[in-house]
Amino acid sequence: MNIDILANSEIESVQGEQGYFEVKVRTKARYIDPQACTGCGECAAHCPISAVDVYNQSMGERRAIYIDYAQAVPLSFAIDQEACIGCGLCEKMCLAGAIKYDDAPQQNTLQVGSITLAVGTRTFDPSGLDFLGYGRFPNVVTSAEFERILSASGPYFGHLMRPLDREEPRKIAWLQCVGSRDTNNCGNAYCSSVCCMYAVKEAVIAKEHAGGDLDCAVFYMDMRTYGKDFERYYDQAREEEGVRFIRSRVHTITEVEESGDLELSFVDDAGRMQSEVFNMVVLSVGLETSPQTLELAEKFGLEVTDNRFCRTSTFAPIATSREGITVCGAFQGPKDIPSSVVDAGAAASAVGEALASARFSETRTKEVVPEKNVQGERPSIGVFVCKCGSNIAGVIDVAGVRDYAAKLPFVDYVTDNLYTCSQNTQEDMAEIIHEKNLNRVIVASCSPKTHEPLFQETLTNAGINKYLFSMVNIRNQDSWVHRNNPDLATEKAKDLVRMAVSNVALKEPLEEPELGIHQSALVIGGGISGMTSALSLARQGHDTHLVEQSSALGGQARFLYKTWKGEDIQSHLQELIAAVQAEPGLQVHLQTSVTQVDGFVGNFTSTLDNGEKEQTVTHGVTVMATGAGELEPAEYGYGQDARIKTALELDRLFQTDDPELKSVNTAVFIQCVGSREPERPYCSRVCCTHSIQNALELKTRNPAMNVYVLHRDIRTYGEKENLYNQARQAGVLFIRYNPEDKPVVQPKDGNLTVTVTDPILGRPLEIQTDLLTLATAIVPKRDEQLANFFKISHNDDGFFAERHAKMGPAEFATDGMFLCGLAHYPKSIDESIAQGKAAAGKAITLLAQEVIHSSGEVARVDPMYCSSCGVCVSICPYSAPSFIEEGRFAGKAQINPSLCKGCGLCAASCRSGAISLRGSDNRQIYAMIEAI
Amino acid sequence: MSDWEPKIAAFLCNWCSYGAADLAGVSRMQYPANIRIIRIPCTGAMSPNFILQSLRHGVDGVWVSG
Amino acid sequence: MNDITQQIRTTARRLLEEKTVDCVIGYRKGTVPMQEEPYFAYSPEEADTLVWTGFCVNNLANFLIKRPGRNAILAQGCVSRNIVGLIKENQVQRENVYILGVHSPGMLDAEKIKAQFPDRVITKVTEDEQEILVQGWGFEERLERKKFKRNNCFTCTHRNAVLYDEFIGEQGPGTGGGNIDKVAAPWEAMDSDSRWAAFEDAFKDCIRCYACRNVCPLCYCDVCFVDENNPQWVGKSQLDADIYTFHILRAFHCAGRCTDCGACESACPVGIKMRTLTGKLEKDIREFYDYQPGLDLETPPPLTLYRPNDPDVAG
Repeated sequence: MNIDILANSEIESVQGEQGYFEVKVRTKARYIDPQACTGCGECAAHCPISAVDVYNQSMGERRAIYIDYAQAVPLSFAIDQEACIGCGLCEKMCLAGAIKYDDAPQQNTLQVGSITLAVGTRTFDPSGLDFLGYGRFPNVVTSAEFERILSASGPYFGHLMRPLDREEPRKIAWLQCVGSRDTNNCGNAYCSSVCCMYAVKEAVIAKEHAGGDLDCAVFYMDMRTYGKDFERYYDQAREEEGVRFIRSRVHTITEVEESGDLELSFVDDAGRMQSEVFNMVVLSVGLETSPQTLELAEKFGLEVTDNRFCRTSTFAPIATSREGITVCGAFQGPKDIPSSVVDAGAAASAVGEALASARFSETRTKEVVPEKNVQGERPSIGVFVCKCGSNIAGVIDVAGVRDYAAKLPFVDYVTDNLYTCSQNTQEDMAEIIHEKNLNRVIVASCSPKTHEPLFQETLTNAGINKYLFSMVNIRNQDSWVHRNNPDLATEKAKDLVRMAVSNVALKEPLEEPELGIHQSALVIGGGISGMTSALSLARQGHDTHLVEQSSALGGQARFLYKTWKGEDIQSHLQELIAAVQAEPGLQVHLQTSVTQVDGFVGNFTSTLDNGEKEQTVTHGVTVMATGAGELEPAEYGYGQDARIKTALELDRLFQTDDPELKSVNTAVFIQCVGSREPERPYCSRVCCTHSIQNALELKTRNPAMNVYVLHRDIRTYGEKENLYNQARQAGVLFIRYNPEDKPVVQPKDGNLTVTVTDPILGRPLEIQTDLLTLATAIVPKRDEQLANFFKISHNDDGFFAERHAKMGPAEFATDGMFLCGLAHYPKSIDESIAQGKAAAGKAITLLAQEVIHSSGEVARVDPMYCSSCGVCVSICPYSAPSFIEEGRFAGKAQINPSLCKGCGLCAASCRSGAISLRGSDNRQIYAMIEAI
Repeated sequence: MSDWEPKIAAFLCNWCSYGAADLAGVSRMQYPANIRIIRIPCTGAMSPNFILQSLRHGVDGVWVSG
Repeated sequence: MNDITQQIRTTARRLLEEKTVDCVIGYRKGTVPMQEEPYFAYSPEEADTLVWTGFCVNNLANFLIKRPGRNAILAQGCVSRNIVGLIKENQVQRENVYILGVHSPGMLDAEKIKAQFPDRVITKVTEDEQEILVQGWGFEERLERKKFKRNNCFTCTHRNAVLYDEFIGEQGPGTGGGNIDKVAAPWEAMDSDSRWAAFEDAFKDCIRCYACRNVCPLCYCDVCFVDENNPQWVGKSQLDADIYTFHILRAFHCAGRCTDCGACESACPVGIKMRTLTGKLEKDIREFYDYQPGLDLETPPPLTLYRPNDPDVAG
């Protein structure tokens, strides 16, 4: 209600400053009225003109009147003016009268306080790289095209085929770094961050689709699976799925005559020329900023980096160079979904901070119609059967279904509509409910997934509890899929209506539990992410308690020297700490731990203990920013020789400008110390960049120094790749080692010797060094007590498990619980800051409301039936069930409706039949089964 | 027996398979009209009882997807 | 065996005298041969009624459920595992139960013994470790003990109590020697049609007396699904569909919890071998989750948890 979507629009100009922007927006002609269009698709079914389907990567066709894809928002068609011949067929077919041939572009001027750019990215077009043959050889496709090939809504309906002959490939190769890490051919020097992971994913899914013996080979330079649980996925693909990973850059692809197969020529690891034939090749194309985006950036007056991404700083990762304008997603830098979602949350929070004084000044709210009490009344059901133009009526005998429904028990009113969802039918429906005194409503039309909320709103407007409603899907799951069997489709529609009638008759009005939200927050952990989060919450007007176990704020950042962009960390950290201390409404508790927690979302009560006294604080939300630590290595002679250090110990030397550095003539870094090992099978993400940054720092201080980095894969993702390039140019030597043949460290006659097998020579190389830095793993602080207090869980590696790996990276599955920083997974400072802000932003979506209403469709326990076995308590992923502590039903289970998500896991697991899921309880499902 | 058509009860998860069945419609895929879909909030809510009851009430096959 | 009986009595007497517990739950001699009965000794004198023979087949854990006061209970392997399960399922408080662990020599199957003496009346059966002495009207015969063990005792995986406050007698051999995975083997070898035929055959005699449910320590719901009437999952008649629904759902409810104590089969008046059904479920639980019910108080039963890496098993 408070979001206006202006689709099909472009920014023309921006004027003003933070708080007072004036934005001119030009909305292009759609030639269809999106208010009137119901998305039924009748127009496209009759449009005689075909055009290239851009959504399906131009691999398929669409009509000149089209919708991008089935889930598009808004769900409205548009006319492709360039393809349209103006025959007028669609106008005749559209019973909703939505076609507007005379539609013209419109200009709007918006007054806004801030602007966020989420303009995205495009994939690299490899047609210019003739050695890859893209465009010439049909079976060479880009990864974006391959995604569509795998998709059920793609050009081949999810059937894995190659373009040339629609044959099922038996061998597929992926080529990494096409349009990335390549200054020679395309000028994109950076790493696109996402391609390694998506290539592994595509290979695994391709194997799933093809079944059995599909041979998948990925040609790569460095495998960059640095994200949370990514390394595990890579290991699994390699070890269990049998995906082959070949470290080599393919230099030429040639097409095999007649077969359309492709021959790849490459140099293998041992330096030998090889060639192999595949049926299909996928180019893992990188991400790049489009010229349109650059034009836009210029209009906004924003600075971009050499790599053409929006320029931001480590300490304000979503702030552009112009105040009041934030950026999120891949225009900020190439990134994957979770990072983009984090950015988005961070941008929202940053905007919230900037506009805190104007909060709620333009919020729209809805008028509430009093609800009629129909409890205990005899069911009186109204059935509305939709024709959906001819989408349903063209196949199903709508009048027949309507008349059939009229004979069913408790049905007191039936009708059919041209479009039940149209505005005027909705008004009529409310009128009819009122007039006929209906207390249950059924709409037989399209899918509840898209239209249930709309009809429920109509019920609400008619003063009927919105849960007294049931929808029958006779379009998507009937008329559309049984086009050639009208009789059977009609039969099916009648059956479905009958089932819905027996279901809806048993429905009861449901109450949506109301929950007061205590307007304050608790942030646990005073590192960079925790401080950022706390500051953001406090700046948006919420009392915030920041709890830190140690005696000082700063967390791990205290031990770091410089960012990879060369920014000084300590001075920025001090600024942040000062801001935290100066912020009114933000209370810092040092040397304090949380010793007891009660309550749940909206109303937590936590006991804070600082060793001297206990304090109880009430808070509506909790942010976990408990951080992680550095592994104390048990290998490479650590602890036996003062010259062997961890990465943080080296940073300390830089910070204090230790004279020890002066005597260093040779320095060695060993990567993956404790990471990517069987007992810790994750990548610590930041160590490659950190070591290279430090290698460069050593080189800057003493250009004559010999610096070696012994690594397994260099994972300088995104623009950090620049640093890797710089390091190589500065003469830092990178030697890859094999985990089966790790470097050997020997203190010998006062010297420190590192022996490593050179992968090219295949011979051991001895390096005498003055400094050995171990890039140690970041290890989680598994705190079971805290996890139990807040009912949150860890993943296998001991990091906190977020709500959703992609869509919910800064929050927990447990409501009111948010997450940021190293506690989630190893990450760099800019990423920690973004996530800290994102956690605050997410938390504020709760705190912005005094009370929240959760769904009425929740589980409920009948204590008379409960046998206290506790299955519901242990099985619920949201910690909604608990045992009643006192009174008549002590020991029995109860369910907190505010935490319940209505999944029904508990109801199905309850042997005693004590739990029912309101809205679709056993009786209702049973009634439907009986009516099948 | 040759014109016998089975009746199949399909219990589909609201969040995945039910949406997939919608998408099959959007894609105009054609399939036999023998199934009767019952939308459930999650296949976790699927009780073995529902399967047995469906069979008891004369359904010939049960499909659970989620 | 007499020795164990003696030790049980001594211990029970002590516990009751010292008022460590209010009651000792064990067995007493049955009124008919080969059928010992559960017995509740409340006073030191009553302790002398307790016995320990090869016919102690009721699962005593059943009597602990929501039982007030502090009770001692005699528990061999399976019973102790059921007690563990009941503690996890909040039916028994650990501090209110005093477990007298005991080693099970393998309980005897009265039906198998009776089958040796068709049309004859048995009046007394005694046993030692090797042999059973069967006495009746006009006959007396010795049988080799191990041939007459109950089926579940052949495949027993835990003959010693796994959790106890005091162990009576010595710990004995841990297993019954049989392969528990074979219990489910007949089902697994069949195709779906013959499996269904075998299922129908296995349960054709069921009269739905619910004896199997009533003796089972896993079945403690206040209202069993068979007794619910809204919705009415199971009819009240003797229709095949109702019988099958009962047995299938009962087996489902036991999955991941059954210790194969055999009480159900011992209680069945028509000799239905319902262990074959639970046996298959428990085998699956062992294979998929590497879990056996009731071995410790900590490990959560796999079917009460959702884990993203749960095995994805089809078919």
